[in-house]
Amino acid sequence: MLQLIADGFVIGSVIALGAIGVTLVYSILRFANFAHGELLTWGAYLAWTALLGFAAVWGPMEPLGPFSFGWTLLASLGVAAIATAALALLVDWLLFRHLRRHGKAITLIMASFGAALVLRNLLQFIFGAVPEYYSREIQVAIRLVPRDVLGGLRITPDQLFVLGLTAVSVVGLHLFLTRTTLGKAMRATSINPQLARVTGIDVDRVIRATWIIGAVLAAVAGVFSGLTVQLRPQLGLDLLLPLFAAAILGGIGSVYGAVAGGLIVGLAESLSVPIVGAEYRAATAFIVLIAILLIRPTGLFGERP
Amino acid sequence: MPDLLGLISYGTFFLVFATIYSLVVLGLNLQWGFTGLFNVGVAGFVAIGAYTSALLTAPDYPDQIGGLGLPIPLGWLGAMATSGLAAFIVGVAALRLRHDYLAITTFGIAVTLQLVALNAQSLTGGPFGLQFIPKPFADVIADNLAWNLAYLAMAAMLLGLSYVALERLVRSPWGRVLRAIREDETAAESLGKRAFRFRLQAFVIGCMLMGLGGALYAHFVGYIAPEDFLPILTFQLWTMLIVGGSGNNRGAILGAVVVWALWTLSGNVLRELVPAEHQARAATLQVVLIGLLLMLILLVRPRGLLGEEAIVSRHMKDSAGDVQEE
Amino acid sequence: MTALRVEALEAGYEPGLPIVRGASLSVESNEIVAVLGPNGAGKSTLIKAIAGLVPISAGKVLLHDREITGRAAHRLPHEGLGFVPQTENVFVNLSIDDNLDLAASILKVPKKRRLGELYALFPDLARQRRLLAGRLSGGQRQMLAVARALVGEPKVLMLDEPSAGLSPKLVGIVFEKLVEVRATGVTIVLVEQNVKAALAIADRAAVLVEGSTRVVGTARELANDPQVAVLYLGHHRGDT
Repeated sequence: MLQLIADGFVIGSVIALGAIGVTLVYSILRFANFAHGELLTWGAYLAWTALLGFAAVWGPMEPLGPFSFGWTLLASLGVAAIATAALALLVDWLLFRHLRRHGKAITLIMASFGAALVLRNLLQFIFGAVPEYYSREIQVAIRLVPRDVLGGLRITPDQLFVLGLTAVSVVGLHLFLTRTTLGKAMRATSINPQLARVTGIDVDRVIRATWIIGAVLAAVAGVFSGLTVQLRPQLGLDLLLPLFAAAILGGIGSVYGAVAGGLIVGLAESLSVPIVGAEYRAATAFIVLIAILLIRPTGLFGERP
Repeated sequence: MPDLLGLISYGTFFLVFATIYSLVVLGLNLQWGFTGLFNVGVAGFVAIGAYTSALLTAPDYPDQIGGLGLPIPLGWLGAMATSGLAAFIVGVAALRLRHDYLAITTFGIAVTLQLVALNAQSLTGGPFGLQFIPKPFADVIADNLAWNLAYLAMAAMLLGLSYVALERLVRSPWGRVLRAIREDETAAESLGKRAFRFRLQAFVIGCMLMGLGGALYAHFVGYIAPEDFLPILTFQLWTMLIVGGSGNNRGAILGAVVVWALWTLSGNVLRELVPAEHQARAATLQVVLIGLLLMLILLVRPRGLLGEEAIVSRHMKDSAGDVQEE
Repeated sequence: MTALRVEALEAGYEPGLPIVRGASLSVESNEIVAVLGPNGAGKSTLIKAIAGLVPISAGKVLLHDREITGRAAHRLPHEGLGFVPQTENVFVNLSIDDNLDLAASILKVPKKRRLGELYALFPDLARQRRLLAGRLSGGQRQMLAVARALVGEPKVLMLDEPSAGLSPKLVGIVFEKLVEVRATGVTIVLVEQNVKAALAIADRAAVLVEGSTRVVGTARELANDPQVAVLYLGHHRGDT
């Protein structure tokens, strides 16, 4: 039981980070971005590519302490974050920016669905369909709770790293959004873009910041997923429904909501495994989505109706 | 002459698929072009129709339920019934939601259905799918080419009937209300419950056509599997509608033919150019090309080939337009 | 010195379909100028065009003799031009304090001092700083909207129909507040449907009809000018 909860939190962290990006884009750019999952996939693979680059120069990756990865993975994560942000800005510049002018959310969603397919298949064309891994190092799980207490709890150092870095990212983002001018500008734009402009806010700059933040978090989430599970072209697509479910559950526009939603969806997926079997765990996100849309469509912390 | 025969055979094959796709896109057009509903789960409803018809008409399947050996027309009616029923359930739950929530929900439906198709082996045959789906009038027509032509004739007839029925429906008072609801959200809201009922009807009818298309596909190929109904199918169908021109039934059919032609053409070209061991990778390029086509159309000519000029009215914009500088 | 000048402006949402057709206006420093006119005359469009929210196809706009025609809307508050839209003019999910704090952060104005000054000018707002803007009454909202536009210490403040949706008593209160604002050195331009209330506080006024300026003069001149009635009501005073 405890083990399931812990596993749920680890998956939930990945979903949470991705859902933050979804909810920010949704509340500021006013559309559901079906291509967000691909930012996670691309983030994961760009990091993998950077890792190969580092290995070519500095030799194979030496694990840091109890982790399966070395400092080169962290550096690769940094590279991937920047590259994924650039990718998101490029897609916006080429595609979404023009469609915004004509102003129907449905068209943007449709275009994002198309962009998702292009990005996913392009990635598969480049990297192939065989699953990859950052490191082949075997991890020794640490026993945190003995087996007789609620089934016990074992966790790998990698998983602890994921949990820790997620918490740090969320706190950092919260401080950014509430304390900095750009953060406040983003909040204002999500409430009323026209009034934001009249108040002196450069909405184009806010849009760019939204994509960058969403993409950076997506890259981190992608790497976490690649680290704790595996890298494959379907990585983002398989997470897309959980991402949407988490964002809507938390309330569109709420960062904390997205985090809470992510953890809840992760927990639900994990806890559903003994009930419906591992094959159907993806359907759990769908059930959570339906439930929240029927019961409380504004979500837990939602502001706008 | 063997060459001409080969060409006719290939052409027939191509046209059967184009006809089946056209039928599905007509259903999609009713939902999107005439009612403004964004159904991202098209592949799911096509799958429901295909699997239902297969399970009803195939000879006995030893390891699972289904294989009732019923006559084929019953299978097709069953396909339309189940996809219509599924549409009803989904519609009641999701059609009251905002358009984008409907998109996400229908996407979720398709994903879930795919999971069920893949894993519920006792119902759907799992990853192996369903085989031995009976071909209509196969005992009467033995020759392959003649059978293909006969199937094409029948499918074309069904397409023609559907087209005529839809055209009449759209011009009827019912159709006019539908279009009014699509254009003006506020008017729709003031109609309240009745607007919802119209949308539901359009949604169900559209999905029934999708189910029929699925059944036609199943009985033409004789074998279906979960991988026949992936998101890429939804995407192809949407591209067909957008390219052809949404809101226009002729556009829907034209779009199906054009996009299917581009798809098969690009497939053939890639097959010729790319060495055997890289064929699987080349398939991904096909998707990329079609994806770029869709995005190009949305950017350059959103009304498609035959669609009406979009009315540039500020009232048509929703909040997604607020974010962009005038 | 001319605070704001508009010369032969043409503007509209769609190219080739101008709503403002040859409007001209000149506002001196520390004046209150009202822009009047019948419904559909293009008053709101004119002021929104100045504010950078509607595309300008011809003509010029000058702020303190510096051309700002077609400048991006978000630059103008930084240059000393404040604008109070008619609707949706406060951030409803933020408190009164956060509304003002946001503007102060964006316009890089020292918060404590400026907010203190504004709260002194708008004591009603000071009483309930934590209240969400969405919960405010119509009159309080309008006050907050004006206060928000003043955070950046603009030299020119433009308002789009500030009386809209307010009871006559509230209109009086809001307009009195505008006189107080003017006393602090701000130039005010207001578009108004409510001719009487506008002319009560304005120094000069312009009447816009079908997109172009027809009459310009002092408030007293316009109040007594029969032409104004014609332009508004489409008949002479002697008619039935």
